[in-house]
Amino acid sequence: MPSRSIDLPQGTLDLLILRTLSLEPLHGWAVSERIQQISSDVLHVQQGSLYPALHRLERRGWVKARWGTSENNRRAKFYQLTKAGRRQLVVEQDAWQKLTAAVSQVLETA
Amino acid sequence: MLLHDLLFRLRSLMRRSAAEDELDNELRFHLERQTDKYVKSGTSEAEALRRARLEFGGLDQVKDECREARGVSFVESLVQDLHYAARTLLHSPAFTACAVLTLALGIGANTAIFSVVNRVLLNPLPYRNSQELLAARKNDSLPNLEDIQRQTKSFASSGGINIEPMDFTGKGEPVRVHGAYVDAGLFVTLGIQPMLGRWISADEDVKGGPRNAVVSYSFWRDFMGADPNVLGKAIRLSDNSYAVIGVMPRDFTLPKELADVFVSLWVAYPDAAAERDVHFMHTYWRLKPGVPLAQAQAEIAQADHRLAEAFPDTEKERGTLLIPLHEWLVGDVRSALLILFGAVGLVLLIACANFAMLLMARAVARQRELMIRASLGARNSRLIRQRLTESTLLALVGGAVGLVAAKAGTTLLLALRPAELHRFDAIPMDPRVFMFVFAISLLTGLLFGLLPAWSASRGDIAEALRENARSTATGVSRSPLRSFLVTGELALALILLAGAGLLIKGFLRLRSVDPGFNPANIITMYLQLPGTRYPQIPLQTNFRRELLARINSFPGVEAAMITDLPLAGNYVGHRVVIDGQPTPAVGTEPEVQTLSVMGNYFGVMQIPIRSGRDFRAMDREQQPRVAIVNEAFVRQLFPGQNPIGTRIDWARSDEPHEWMTIIGVVGDVKHSGLNQPVDPAVYAPFSQNDEAWRKFMTLVIRTRVPVAGLVEDVKKQVWSLDRQIPVSGIQSMDDLLAVSVAQERFNMLLLGSFAALAVALAGVGIYGMVAYRVNQRTHEIGVYIALGAQHRHVLRLVMKDGVKLGLLGIVLGLAGAIALTRVMVSLLFEVNPTDPATLIGVALLLAAVAMLACYIPARRALSIDPMTALRRE
Repeated sequence: MPSRSIDLPQGTLDLLILRTLSLEPLHGWAVSERIQQISSDVLHVQQGSLYPALHRLERRGWVKARWGTSENNRRAKFYQLTKAGRRQLVVEQDAWQKLTAAVSQVLETA
Repeated sequence: MLLHDLLFRLRSLMRRSAAEDELDNELRFHLERQTDKYVKSGTSEAEALRRARLEFGGLDQVKDECREARGVSFVESLVQDLHYAARTLLHSPAFTACAVLTLALGIGANTAIFSVVNRVLLNPLPYRNSQELLAARKNDSLPNLEDIQRQTKSFASSGGINIEPMDFTGKGEPVRVHGAYVDAGLFVTLGIQPMLGRWISADEDVKGGPRNAVVSYSFWRDFMGADPNVLGKAIRLSDNSYAVIGVMPRDFTLPKELADVFVSLWVAYPDAAAERDVHFMHTYWRLKPGVPLAQAQAEIAQADHRLAEAFPDTEKERGTLLIPLHEWLVGDVRSALLILFGAVGLVLLIACANFAMLLMARAVARQRELMIRASLGARNSRLIRQRLTESTLLALVGGAVGLVAAKAGTTLLLALRPAELHRFDAIPMDPRVFMFVFAISLLTGLLFGLLPAWSASRGDIAEALRENARSTATGVSRSPLRSFLVTGELALALILLAGAGLLIKGFLRLRSVDPGFNPANIITMYLQLPGTRYPQIPLQTNFRRELLARINSFPGVEAAMITDLPLAGNYVGHRVVIDGQPTPAVGTEPEVQTLSVMGNYFGVMQIPIRSGRDFRAMDREQQPRVAIVNEAFVRQLFPGQNPIGTRIDWARSDEPHEWMTIIGVVGDVKHSGLNQPVDPAVYAPFSQNDEAWRKFMTLVIRTRVPVAGLVEDVKKQVWSLDRQIPVSGIQSMDDLLAVSVAQERFNMLLLGSFAALAVALAGVGIYGMVAYRVNQRTHEIGVYIALGAQHRHVLRLVMKDGVKLGLLGIVLGLAGAIALTRVMVSLLFEVNPTDPATLIGVALLLAAVAMLACYIPARRALSIDPMTALRRE
């Protein structure tokens, strides 16, 4: 495992999943790959927490799932953002930006 | 949102197997893709698979978490947990039996008392809109009742009732039954319809109306063969023929009275019905809907005032006080029942403490299993939930067993019930009782299962584990929770013991009160002469004299008679005037108990003559009237004087006085109850009686040795004199004495058995703690013995903690008792609620029990073989 990867802070996984799914419907494996790619291999999603998170988001009605055919022609479960999910994404992105801005402000001035 | 959540969970639950397959496929797809990825980057297939799996982590755990995320797992794992709990509990039957039994005792006792509380205090009365019903605290007469009803607007109706014995002469032996003399308004007021036929109507309820009777269900069943065509048939009651016009429903009971037949007072006794100044009817009132009690009370006060003005001679001291019927009925027993309910709640707490300690000991015993499950990936929350499932299952089973125990318990309670509860001939288990059992079982299981689980997370279990592994040889387990529970249960047990001790002391005091007579070897029987055949006093006197002569001719027997027996609850009160003293205003003369006697009454009852002389045979009709008074009479009316020779008479407004001369003073008799003050009393000979309505009498028969068949012989003599006179109320004076203290005995027995249960449970608790510690410290004790420790050193080592906690509990309990026992004041007879002797006594008793409970397991420590103990290392 690359040493420069860092663990996800608590609660950010949902935000990352929602953001990833906002572009297109993906299956679970692709979600974890996409996060890893986009973050230039810095963020590694623990698969043990990815699937419970997906199922939790589904229960909350932020994503919905359907079975489709994957890029390698296999049956796979694709997750897709719902309207409620889009709203939630905006809310969480907002909160995250406020948080990071505040944290950097403290780090730079204190 | 919430709805979506719920539907989602539900759908997941419904299509569980499909969802399981999907989850399986989804995760397998992921593993395949990951493996593919590694293969493409040049890894061997086997290595790629291994890496993918390793990265993924525990497949089952992920699945578990996904299920939980979907919300399915709760129900599913509950089923699993229940299954698991049932299996493991069946594997340790001893533990399961102990836990279930402990809880069954606690919950059973609570349920039994709750069913009584539920039936007596919580259930509405069995009358239509019973919240509108009121009772008057004082009795009244029918003319007053009718006037008040006419003059007020608050009441929808009102009714009166008086119970007198009646002779029912049909086939076979004459029977004394409870006759209810009522007015037509009574059943309108109570709102009850007869099961068969109809109630006495208002136009029949008049002087000279038809002789109609309504009978109770049990009378109809027992004496009329449950004949469905009974209406219109004639029955003979006290020498009059009545037509049966109605049968009451089976579950019907009067508010306070017991009655077998109901007749109109205006029809049966028109003279008594018309008497305004003889207040002998219980009266019941129904408020019009929406009328507040205060308004009705104000209105009735005005009516009272008008009556007092209209009849100043007799109705001056009115003051009708209305109270809600329910309050009137349960007022006496409410406080006792609530105290018992509180006490039995403490018993449950103690049982729960033991239950929690059992669970803790079991958790330690099952440490290996728990450790294995934890290392296999079971999360802490899941383990705690599983233990909660187990404790709740135990509690529910305990509750079910307790329910069975409670059923038996209420039967026992009914057998012991005091007179106040006599109208409750059954304590049914209604839904509320089931809810109660379910709720306290669930609460017990969750709360007292959580305690040890919580304590485990605080390291108690971890400590126990370490200790068990003997990694620290000096490690002494002082689980704070266990210490708290032991201390607490001893404190609670002491409070209960103090309460029981006080009641026992009060009861012994009450029993040691001198009733003023010797109750041993006395049989009593009640007789009443029918007014139709014995209308005049000489006829009554002849009957009495003849009967006494015949009974006194039995060998070894001495008989006498009196109107109203002590402790039986009745007397006739009269106002008296004293010759030579200024006559007080009418209605303010002193009131005394008036009792007629015949035969050697004071001799038979062994009531001492303090001064003067006893009645003699010459004190009879046509002779100067004489009377004997009690000491209370002298104390109140002749303080410091000798009353003998003074003349007294009943206060009457019309006739010239027929003075009675006081010829003697007898000792005080507790006529109204052992815990009641003695009222002034006047005894006079039956033969000089001038009131023909006093045609009843109670035989008192003293036998030197128990005489077999005495009752039958007496009955034969009665019936040889008059075939139609029932003999009833056959009881020994000792029984009567016992009945008179039944309420106190009930309270004492109940609280006493709760205290005994509490002490036993607390003893088991402290025993369990010491035994557990001896077991845990076998190794240490072995070393100690190997190093040459004396027996007493070993004993001190293992008993120290238990004794310390026990004493702490007792001290805390004493403080609690001093704070709490004052609620019992109303139940105690001449005992201070903080009676030092009782408190010290129960503290010593409990200390002895606690010492014993520590000593028994500690003795086992002495027999530890150091070699074996060390080898266990």
